[in-house]
Amino acid sequence: MGLFTRSIDVDCTTSGLPLRLRWEGREYLVAAEPLRWFERRKWWAEELRAERGRGPGLVDHEMWRIQARLAGRGPLRTFDLSRHAETGRWRLVMIHDALKESA
Amino acid sequence: MSFTHLHVSSAFSARYGVSWPDELVRAAAAAGADALACTDRDGLYGIPKHFKACLRHGIDPVVGVDLAVLGPGAGRVVVLARGNDGGAGYTALCRLVSAAHAGTTSGGRGASRPVGVTPGELARWAAGPVGDAGADRAGGAQDPRAGAALTVLLGPQSDVGQACLRRGYGQARQLLERWRAVLPPGALAVEAVTHVNRPGARLSTAHAVRMVRAARDCGVPAVLGNAVRYAEPDGAATADVLDAARALSTLEALDDLQPNGQGWLKEPAQMHRLAGEVAREAGGGAGLAAELLAETARLADHCRMDPVGDAGWGIPVVPEARVIGITGDPARELAARCEAGITRLFPDGGDTRLRGRLATELDTIASLGFCSYFLTVAEVSSMIAAMGVRAAARGSGASSLVNYLLGVSHVNPLAHDLLFERFLSLDRSTLPDIDIDVESAERHAVYRRIFERFGRERVTLMSMQNGYRARGAVRDAGLVLGFENAEIDDIAKQLWRFSASGFRAALAEKPELRGFAERVGSERQLDLLVDLTERLDRLPRHISMHPCGVILGDSGLLDRTPVQPSGLGLPMSQFDKHDMDPMGMLKLDVLGVRMQSAMSFALREVVRIHGSGDAVAAAGRHPLGTDGSLPPFLHGDGRIDLERVPLDDEPTFELIRSTHTLGCFQIESPGQRELIGKLAPREFNDLIIDISLFRPGPMKSNMVKPYLENRHGFARERYPHPDLVPALAETHGVTVFHEQVLRTFATMTGCSLAKADVLRRLLGSETQEPAVEAFFRSHATARGYPLAVVDEVWETLKAFGSFGFCKAHGAAFAVPTYQSAWLKTHHPEAFLAGLWEHDPGMYPKRLLVAEARRMGIPILPLDINRSCAEYRVERVDAGKDGPPGGRLGIRLSLSGIYGMSATEVRRTVAGQPYASLADVRDRAGLTRSSLERLAALGAFDELQRRSGPGNRSDLVRHLREAAARRPGVRRRQLPGQLALPLPDLELSALRALEPAPTAEETVRTELDLMALDVSGHLMDSHAPLLAELGTTPAAELLGLRNGTEVLVAGVRVATQTPPMRGGRRVVFISLDDGTGCVDCTFFHDAQENSGPLLFATRLLLVHGITRRTGPRGISLQALQAWDLSVRDALPGPGHLADPGRARPQPPPGRAAAAGVPAPVGTGHPRARTADGTPGALRGAALAVRMEAEGLDNRLPAGR
Repeated sequence: MGLFTRSIDVDCTTSGLPLRLRWEGREYLVAAEPLRWFERRKWWAEELRAERGRGPGLVDHEMWRIQARLAGRGPLRTFDLSRHAETGRWRLVMIHDALKESA
Repeated sequence: MSFTHLHVSSAFSARYGVSWPDELVRAAAAAGADALACTDRDGLYGIPKHFKACLRHGIDPVVGVDLAVLGPGAGRVVVLARGNDGGAGYTALCRLVSAAHAGTTSGGRGASRPVGVTPGELARWAAGPVGDAGADRAGGAQDPRAGAALTVLLGPQSDVGQACLRRGYGQARQLLERWRAVLPPGALAVEAVTHVNRPGARLSTAHAVRMVRAARDCGVPAVLGNAVRYAEPDGAATADVLDAARALSTLEALDDLQPNGQGWLKEPAQMHRLAGEVAREAGGGAGLAAELLAETARLADHCRMDPVGDAGWGIPVVPEARVIGITGDPARELAARCEAGITRLFPDGGDTRLRGRLATELDTIASLGFCSYFLTVAEVSSMIAAMGVRAAARGSGASSLVNYLLGVSHVNPLAHDLLFERFLSLDRSTLPDIDIDVESAERHAVYRRIFERFGRERVTLMSMQNGYRARGAVRDAGLVLGFENAEIDDIAKQLWRFSASGFRAALAEKPELRGFAERVGSERQLDLLVDLTERLDRLPRHISMHPCGVILGDSGLLDRTPVQPSGLGLPMSQFDKHDMDPMGMLKLDVLGVRMQSAMSFALREVVRIHGSGDAVAAAGRHPLGTDGSLPPFLHGDGRIDLERVPLDDEPTFELIRSTHTLGCFQIESPGQRELIGKLAPREFNDLIIDISLFRPGPMKSNMVKPYLENRHGFARERYPHPDLVPALAETHGVTVFHEQVLRTFATMTGCSLAKADVLRRLLGSETQEPAVEAFFRSHATARGYPLAVVDEVWETLKAFGSFGFCKAHGAAFAVPTYQSAWLKTHHPEAFLAGLWEHDPGMYPKRLLVAEARRMGIPILPLDINRSCAEYRVERVDAGKDGPPGGRLGIRLSLSGIYGMSATEVRRTVAGQPYASLADVRDRAGLTRSSLERLAALGAFDELQRRSGPGNRSDLVRHLREAAARRPGVRRRQLPGQLALPLPDLELSALRALEPAPTAEETVRTELDLMALDVSGHLMDSHAPLLAELGTTPAAELLGLRNGTEVLVAGVRVATQTPPMRGGRRVVFISLDDGTGCVDCTFFHDAQENSGPLLFATRLLLVHGITRRTGPRGISLQALQAWDLSVRDALPGPGHLADPGRARPQPPPGRAAAAGVPAPVGTGHPRARTADGTPGALRGAALAVRMEAEGLDNRLPAGR
């Protein structure tokens, strides 16, 4: 298992569901229905400002847990991604251990 | 696509909800919703605002509450009322909420039991109010619709929801079955909520799925909700702050913050998507999603409420006439009582003007159906009088002759030209406000009596919402961020009268925040502190009893408002003053006024000390009749009837003009003393005008200066048109009163006074004012007024109309003002004793001690045999040169001593007199420390003087040693045992070893133990320093020329930031230096020069320039200030000659030649001129003239 916060490219369907990930020059195909949730942030420790009218994304960020296979054929790997509320940019937060995940 | 949110907390869920009802309703309506619920925690606090918002935005209100279920782990549920059923659902909800609070203590203190309901109570009220003896109204309305009156929603916080979270599937079903068994059929639904939290956690989609499954298994309908706490995602951070503040925790340490920020009012499309996600995870597909949404819509339809039909919106309800003993026609009864009033007050039967006015008033009152209301108020008023409590009507109620005749008000509206239409008219149907001031000390007794008289089912107290203000907000923001207490204290102390929402803006401009502002941006978290403080602005923190509102209704009152215990023990409504009119509730303001208590106390002291009318007349120099008879206000036993004291007593007006008005009602503040000095009142009407001028509107719009110039004859009175002379003559052409605005409208447009008052109320409204202007212009032009006149008058109306003052208010206030000044003039000792006893004013008691010293009234020290539980007037032997019978002094009371309990005071007084110290020890039941404190304050000096050697210090030492020898032993004399008449062996054996305490030590002790400096002044010890600095005593300022540069020093006794023209803040600081009070005015530059000293420092040295404010008034325009206790920072001797010292800046627009600083409150001299000469020139000429005349404004009355 590894922890990351790196950019990652994600292609989505028109309704916003992830289809493909491109990471470290390789392409992964989504292999199961992704899970979405909103994860709390410790904004009071991470941010310098919390002014009124700042909008969404201060208190939580959108997380996606995606199971995908390298080129659609490799072993099933689980990625936790975060999507920035305003910019729509994706970052890779964590890759779960494949063995642990299958247990 | 539509969706109705059924679980929504507004800001009225104190320290929980973030958005105001109007924001929520606006957002829902904008997203296409046609209904929205308001389900605040623990009460219906936000419901009237929710109704109002829903009516405004055209959607249906749904009404509910979020309540705890009593019992361990029983959780919380949402309860929704059925709507459109003649009020049965709404009534059941009100009764349920009242039941949830019954037996709790106000504010949760002492926690007799927490707020909440049992499942049994839920079941009882879900079945509807029918059968409840108290609920005639709703009971009469038969259930027109199927289903239960209340629906209980079991959401994620319910016991079922918690079991689902723990994956206790069996338990969840069991609990759900139990709920179904308890509640009536159709009264139960499950509320699935997903905030899309981390899978499996609280408020995750999985959590919602489990609840939907449990509901399906048990056959209970499931609806979808979002447990909304904020209208927009942006509110989530505020909710975090509230969660932490509620738990008195830092954000970091709190483990049950909301899981994420998804508790906002999501749009229908988003809620439909969530329904889809829940259905998919539950394996139910599109059919399940549709079912969830359909059930939600069905429940919403069941609960759509009609504010009018269900909750009596806008329908005034008054007590049934029979309650006040009236069986016949209330209108006839009212007329009869008014006739009785005429007989009492106008022995000649009243003239035609009075008769005409009475007929008009009675007609209006009868047409509006308010006869019972007036009779009710009269009933309360006479009930108070029967209790022997002083009372006076205040507010626009004084405009009514009926009120005067009924004895509710003490002002004859005809004598002061007060207009009934300002109070009540056929063009408005809201219940009029009648406010009654009573003695503060008797207020609670009056409340209890009202409850007894009208019955507990018809009366409740009103509540008020206490919102976050700047200081509270910064404290809580600091708390949740983990700031040190001391650091937050330092910041909070500097926040002075601005709303939390303007914190960042204030940082940029307020000098006292300069130090803090510099740190923001450089220190981590300070920016956050500012942002979070602004977020908390105005949000409700808790409710409390309103200081004066009592709600009177019929026997169905408690069907229409939930009540909860107040701090007083009596029930209070969950609605506040803004809700009264819309909810059709009649509120009577019974306000406790300390001045009334003080005056009542003074009157009793006058009787006690003098004992006969003749003695009172002699002492008070009251004029006797030619035959030596007592004046009509004075009874033979010495009682004074203040209401009958003539309003033209010249010595009283002399006192008022002297500006020595400390302690007098309404006219003791520095700003008022300055105004009263300039205005120099000669008659009662001047007092009304004075009080009316000292308001934000007139001060800001510069009405004061033109009025004063005209009054004193510096400028010629001028009227836009001769027709307006009758309306404006009393204020020399300046529009001051609402009544004048009404008359102006009526004169120039020909409209009725009632219509004029409606127009007046629309002034200042952005949307409505143009229509008023159009009406005014067209009608005035049609009546032949020239355009220039129309223009000028409209400008005046526009400027003054919206915030001028109702003359009736001023008149009602002026009565106690005059009465207090009259007492201070004629019976100053009794009056001051009353002030010390009831502390009615804005100043600390020690300033009034200084005032007594200034007036030459002896302050008699504590004495174990003479001091009582109250301040008492006492006769002092004035020696052979003094007046016969001695002078009067004021004896300090035993009550104000630090650490001495009320019981000790009671026992001590009961045991008086004491022959010896041993006697005191035996019978007074004092603790050792109280005995020592009394000794240190000199209460035994008299005993000691009789018995032997030594001084206070010896006695204190002796008591300490004695206590050390006999720890814990306290001999109490048995009842019936007589003290032996022996000399005081203990005192005569006292060893005289200690030096007597110095004057400074004595003063220190007095301040520590009584917060009063009695034997000397606190500043006395600074005398050497002050002599070195060359300060001027307050008493000598009056002898100085206007514009003299001086240093003054003293103790801060008051700080005020009155409203000023142009919005620039002016700070008044009053210093007391022992010779009197200096009022220092800090304009912008002086505030810049003084910075943090402005609000936080107690002992001040101020450099400034004298400004004469009137014939007998002088104040100081401050240039710079120092903290007197920080010796190093003080200027050296000779500061006034230092070329580097602060110098006054001539205000822009004023001719510098005059060299006169701008008078406070008048700002730029752009007075409207009498003859068209430019304002600045005339202002300069005027300034020169005023300077030349020493500002002796008292010209012969030129009216």
